[in-house]
Formats: sequence, structure tokens, C-alpha cells
Amino acid sequence: MNVGGAVARGLAVPRLRGRADSTAWIGVGVGVLLGFLTLYPTAMLFYGSLSDAPVGTVGRLTLAHYRAAYTDAATYRLMLNSFVFAAGAAGLSVLLGLVLAWITVRTNAPGRALFELVALAPNVLPPLLVATSWTLVLSPRIGILNLTVFRWLGLPPVNVYSLGGMVFVEGLVLTPLAFLIIAAALRSMDPSLEEAARLAGSGHVDAARRVTVPLVAPAVLAAATLNFVRAIESFDVPAVIALPAGIEVFSTKIFREALAAFPPNHNLAATYAVSQLVIAVILVLVYRRITALSERYATVTGRGYRPNVVDLGPWRYVASAVALGILGLLVVVPFLVLVYVSLVPFYEVPSWEALGRLTLRHYRFLLESDRVARALRVSFSLALGGATVAMVLASLVAYFAVRRRGGLTGLLEALSFVPWAFPGTALAIGLLWAYVQVPLPIYGTVWILLISYVTRFLPYGLRPMTATMVQVHRELEESSRVCGAGFVRTFQRVLLPLLRPGFLAGWAILFTIYVREFSTSVFLYTPRAEPVGPMLYHLWQDAQPGRMAALGVVVSLLCVVVVGLARRWMGEGGRVR
Amino acid sequence: MRVVILAWVLLLSWVLAASAQAPGDLVAQARREGRVVVYGSMESDIFEVVRKIYEGRYGVPVEYWRAPNTRVLDRVLTEVRTGRVGFDVVLTNAAAMNLMKKHGAFARYTSPSYEGFPRNSRDPDGVLSPAYRLTPISILYNTRLLRPQDVPRHVLDLAEPRWRGQVLLADPTVNVIPATWLMGLRRQLQDRWSSFVERLAGNASLVESVLEVAQKVVVGEFPVGVSFIKYVHLFGKEGAPLDYVRLDPVLALPSYVAVGAGAAHPVAARLFVDTLTSRAGLLALAQAGEFVLVPGVYPPIKDAERLRVVVMEEPSEEEFRRAREQFAAVFRRR
Repeated sequence: MNVGGAVARGLAVPRLRGRADSTAWIGVGVGVLLGFLTLYPTAMLFYGSLSDAPVGTVGRLTLAHYRAAYTDAATYRLMLNSFVFAAGAAGLSVLLGLVLAWITVRTNAPGRALFELVALAPNVLPPLLVATSWTLVLSPRIGILNLTVFRWLGLPPVNVYSLGGMVFVEGLVLTPLAFLIIAAALRSMDPSLEEAARLAGSGHVDAARRVTVPLVAPAVLAAATLNFVRAIESFDVPAVIALPAGIEVFSTKIFREALAAFPPNHNLAATYAVSQLVIAVILVLVYRRITALSERYATVTGRGYRPNVVDLGPWRYVASAVALGILGLLVVVPFLVLVYVSLVPFYEVPSWEALGRLTLRHYRFLLESDRVARALRVSFSLALGGATVAMVLASLVAYFAVRRRGGLTGLLEALSFVPWAFPGTALAIGLLWAYVQVPLPIYGTVWILLISYVTRFLPYGLRPMTATMVQVHRELEESSRVCGAGFVRTFQRVLLPLLRPGFLAGWAILFTIYVREFSTSVFLYTPRAEPVGPMLYHLWQDAQPGRMAALGVVVSLLCVVVVGLARRWMGEGGRVR
Repeated sequence: MRVVILAWVLLLSWVLAASAQAPGDLVAQARREGRVVVYGSMESDIFEVVRKIYEGRYGVPVEYWRAPNTRVLDRVLTEVRTGRVGFDVVLTNAAAMNLMKKHGAFARYTSPSYEGFPRNSRDPDGVLSPAYRLTPISILYNTRLLRPQDVPRHVLDLAEPRWRGQVLLADPTVNVIPATWLMGLRRQLQDRWSSFVERLAGNASLVESVLEVAQKVVVGEFPVGVSFIKYVHLFGKEGAPLDYVRLDPVLALPSYVAVGAGAAHPVAARLFVDTLTSRAGLLALAQAGEFVLVPGVYPPIKDAERLRVVVMEEPSEEEFRRAREQFAAVFRRR
């Protein structure tokens, strides 16, 4: 059966029949590639969980690992822990994101442009370092806040090594995403609805309760669901806090079974990863339902308007202080702690004595270490190459999903949804099983990292590309085709230049994610191709927090430079989202 | 578990091997191979001293990948199973080395340097090196947080209620080092062992590695922890407030080194093993804080020469699996 032809027939037929076939085949090729990237590791993850042989060898099918996992009471405890952790972190992130978004978009609080910086925070500060910083701020015995503010106030110390501590730190890590989703919803609200409510006699609060809240509710729910999924899959924060706290969640369990156990048990790790994947898939389906619902609530009609700004009077300064406080928690505190740790020989609570020992030796280590140089080379090569490959693929997927309605569209949409649901740890275990037996030099090389990065983060590139593709009129493309250009030439010469803002926005996001990626890389990298993320973790584990912090500061600053350049290249109208 | 006591006095039989210099053709061959890749759990700063000697002697660059012993084990086994071996030399503690040896990860190699070790310390299969270093484990404490009179004197002290939430331990349900130490204590404590482990579990917080334990004690997150004595030197030379309890005896883990079976740089790998186990290599390790098997040579750690060091026999895979279940029942109740 000619599957390609069948799918190709499902595409809308362009005017030029011969070229339609080649375009259709390219669409099929994109579908097959996307299917291979997403479904193959999924299938192999299931295989790994059902095989009785260790990774790299062929075995017989068995349910023994599922029996071992689900007859263990600890599994249900870790499920409960994961649920509480994810729900708490999602809830906190949405609360902070909502407050910040409302102040930034709907009020006249001074400094709102600065608050938007928060959107960039996750792109420059690796969550692993954020978590590490907070352990130094809120450790019960040495935490800077515990030893200063809380002690002066006579309050008991806060223990970051707890489920509450994990929720707090993960909540901060996830806040920027909640902010972006909710701020976008607030910006797209039609102010006439609120005006109508007020004309009908409602006060500010009543209008907000009856109009604003219902309009924003789907976005809030979507942000909460998405952040719940991200927290379930998160490994950065649990790696630093959950392991010492003795709290088991899905990602720590997978890590412990696959990498930290004696002897390692990849089959059991795959079994837990399957459970994690199933939960994530269900929640992403819920998220998609909610976002579909929120689109029904969309009030943007194409008219040029801005949402009403609420005049807070003297309270606007309080609003600014609140927003600055959140910004401080998200960016300033962790970054300052990192800088401090990078400048002292070994970590100690700040004091005049400690400040007298400031040194640049950790930065000198970065300059002298071959391993650091190699890690930077690997990560920046992966970021440059991976972001470009991912964005070209995202452009093609967006093109066929937006332009070509038909059978392939649904398939591409379904396939591009898979990475949303694929937790990094589960994808890593799936890829490990998938490529370890492929005779191509993929496992044990930098290529497996490239594949994992492109697969896992494709949706981050797809979103800006789809949004930009919708704005490019079909006539430009058709003119090119009428003038005799084929699909590839039209795509390269006409579409890509027009899609530049979306392409660069997605590229910048992916670049910064790839440079600091940790939770997938730590399972897949090889010593010859060790990226920055695992190296940061190993420096931490090698009792070298100063070196880790110095590397973190350097990588963060490099990311700021790259994002700044990308924004500049995008032009005045470009925004990194 | 059987515990073998290796008294230092036995080492008087040590014949100091001449610092083995490889013949010129081997060196030329190693240089042609271009580099040597070492996987190990030895701390990067300590490894540096061996690297300097090796690179100084032979001009062959060393690539060192350092990770906790379980991570080294996982990496090596996966590479061996898939036939994509990336290492030339592996060095870590005995349990992991024995398991890797069982899976065919190593080639037979008897270095000329082994002549300097007691005959009974050599691997009868000619695969693993003799135990070229010992890593004694004790109670480490932060000298700023504990007054001398508050310092625990015996391991049993760690089980007292006053240490609740104050003790840090590497996770014995996954990490072979603390698991071996706890199993090694069984012989000492005998019928008090079970209740000790039970109460210690109630007092202890867990981290992944013994290095993390020392680091957290140094920064003051925990006043006491169970870790390697050598960290007193490693962190102390930077001014860290760290000391150790002079337990009697002190239990120690042996470490081995071996050449990879599929090593891409076999000659460079053998020269590396020669260097590490040579007198020069061992003396350099001792200076860096390691307890090496050279009579009369001690690391620059106070009272190191007075310690009665007992080498623990490391558990088999099956023994460790059973112990893991046992420890999980008491340490992982949360």
C-alpha cells in the first residue's frame, strides 16, 4: 500500500499539480521524520519496561518490572509526593504569574517594562542553579535568610529540604511560563466588555469578578495544567532538594534506578518512566482541551486596541514593590547567591571574614580546565546546530499544519503534541533503549543529544513559527510558485525571510534551553561529549560549588548576550517569547 | 559478611619498586595512540597529581571523567554491553570493580609496579590491580558547630536521640560505600547492630555520595556526617572547619585500577596503570590526602599514622541486593 501517496492525496491540491506532488512528498517526509523522532523512543521505552534484559542486550518480554514497581508501597508514596509537589508548584507559579501579569499588563504601576524581564529569567538561569542557590538561602542551618531575617524576627528557620521547599523553588522556576500565558490572555482581552459592565453599574471589583476573571480563567487553568506537567517531569529541583530530603518523586526514582543504584536497573527505570509518561499524556490532553476552550473565550477580533489600564493611584507603588519582590525571588536572589558562591574559596555564610577571602580562583579554573572548555564547546555547538535544525523542522511542520489542511495536518498536529507530554527523564530512557542497538554511531556520541534536544523541545519552536505562519499571506507564496519556483526555493527565498521574527524568537528560546539542558543530557551524554548541564551537576557533586557557580554565572551571561543579539536581529518589533 | 583485617604491619614486607620507567618504544607507541581516557570516582583534584606525573613522563594527555562509583559502573557496563567502549582505564572501589570485572569490562594486565605489593594482595586472575589505596571511613564533624566535649566518640553515639536530624549519610539503599560500611559494622557491633541501624536511620538525612556528605558538613548544613577521612585534608587545606573522630578500628574500602578490555589506547592505558601504582604515583596520592599501601607513608592528616585501619571485604551483588532491601525498610520510610 502506498501510504505516502494516500497521505499525499489527503492534502489540499494546489493549482500546479506536478509541484503539488513534490510538496506533498516533502510533507510526508516531515511527518515520517517527526513520527520517527517521537514514536520510536516511545515504543522502545515500553519495550525496555517489558524486557528482562539490561539495556543493550536482547531479552524476553516480562511484566516482572511492573509487578516489582506496583507491588512496592514506596511507588504509591512517590506518586503521592509527585502529585503534591506538582500541584503545589503549579499553584504557586500561577498565583505569582497572575499577580505579576496583572500588574504588568493591566495597571499603571511604574517599572512595568522591567517586570517583563521576568520572561527572560528561565532562559538565562539554569533551574539547577536556581535550586542550588535556594538551598544556600533557606537551608535550616546555613541559609542566609534563616540566619539573618528569620533569626532577627524571632521566626523558626525554614527548611528548604522538604516537600514545601521543593514546591517553593519549583514554583519560582515555573512562574515565568505562567506569567507568559496569563499576560498574553490579559493583553488579548477586549476592554469594551469591562467598560460595558461598568456602564451597567458595576464597580472595578465587580467588573473584574464578572468579566475579567471568567475571561482569564481558561488561561489560568491552562497555565496550571501545563506547569503541573512540567513539575511532574522536572528533575533539576528534585535532584538538588528531594534526594537530600529523602523525598522520592518520579524523576528521582528513575535517576536512582538508572544511574545511581548498585547495580543500575534500566528496566525498572523504564517502568517508572512509562508511568510518568502516561500521567503527562493525560494532563497534556487536558491542557489541550482547556486551551481549545480558552480559544472559544478569545475576544480579540482584529481591531487595534489595548486593554484598559487600571489607575491604582498611590497603590501603584505598592504594586511595583510586589512585582519587584517577585522578580527578586525569581532572578535577583539566586543570581546574587551564585555570584557570591563563585567568589569564595568554599561556601560559608556571608560575613566580613568571608568577604576578606574573596577570590577569582574558580573563574581561573574555568579558563584552565580542558573539561570546561570542552563542555562549553559541546553545549554551544549543540545549541547553535540544534536550535537551527529544530527551527527548520518547526518551520516545515508549521507550514504543513497551517497551510495545507488535510489528512497530514491532523497527523502532524498529533505527532508534534507527543514531545509536550514527554518528560525529559522518560524521553532519555526511551532514547537510550532506542539508539543503543541502532548500528549507526548515535548512542555514545553527541548526535543522541542533538536528537533528544530537537525532539523534546520542538514545541517551543513550533509555537512562534505557527503564530508567524498564520500572519504570512498565502498570495506571496503563490506568486513565487506561479513564477516557476518549486517548494524548496519558495520556502527558502520567500517564506523563511518572512518568518524571520518567529524563527529567531524560537531559535533564541531553543538556544538558551539547549545550552543549559540537564534532565535529558545527564542520562545520555558521554564523557567525550559532556555538555554544560551535567557538568554543573557533577561539579556540585564533586563538592565544587564555587566552580559550579562560576560556570553558571558565565553561561548565564553568555545566554543574555545571545538573547540580546537575537532580539536586536529581530528588529524593533521582535519579542522573545 | 566476612571482614578481612589487613594490619599495616603486614606491609613491612613491601619491597619498594623502582619507579618504573617504560621502555622508549612503549612510550612512542603510547604517544602515537594520542591520549588515554580514564573513568573513575577519585576526586578530580586528587586525580590531578597523578595526571601531572603521567603527562610529565610520557607527554600523553589524560582525559578524566569523574563520577560517583555507581555512575562509573553504569557507564562502563552500558558501554561494554553495547560494544562501544570509550574508556581505557577504570579506577574505583572494589565492589564496583569486581562487578565490572565479572561482566568482562577489563583486560588482563600485570603491571611491573605490582611487584612492590604484597603477593596476597594481587588478583589471582591478573585483571585488577592490588588495592593501591584505602579510603578509611569515619565520622566527620564541623569544628565550628561542635564543641570538643560534644563530638561523638563512637559510632554508637550517632544513634543517640540528641543527634536526631543532625547526621548526614550517603544513601545506603543505592550507594555501595555507606552500605558496605554499615555491613562492616555488623561484626563490630554484633547483636547491637540491628537496633543501631534502626536508630541511625531515624537520626540521619541522606544524600547521594560521601563527597556530598563532607561538603555539607563543611558548609555547616549538618554538624556530623559519615564520610572519607581524606576529606579532612582535601577541604582542610582550604581552611574548612573539618575534623574526624578517631574511631578504633577505622573501616576502609580498597580501590583498584584496571585496563579496559576494549581499550582504544591500550599501551597508554598500561603506562597509566604503571604510573598510578608506582611509588612516585602512590607518594603523590598520599601527599594529596590518600591512604596508600606504602609502609611509613601517611597522608598529611593529623593522627593518620595512629589509626588502626581495617579493610572491609566488599559485598557481592547478591549480598548488596539483600542489604539494600534491608536498609530501604528502615532508611526510606518517608
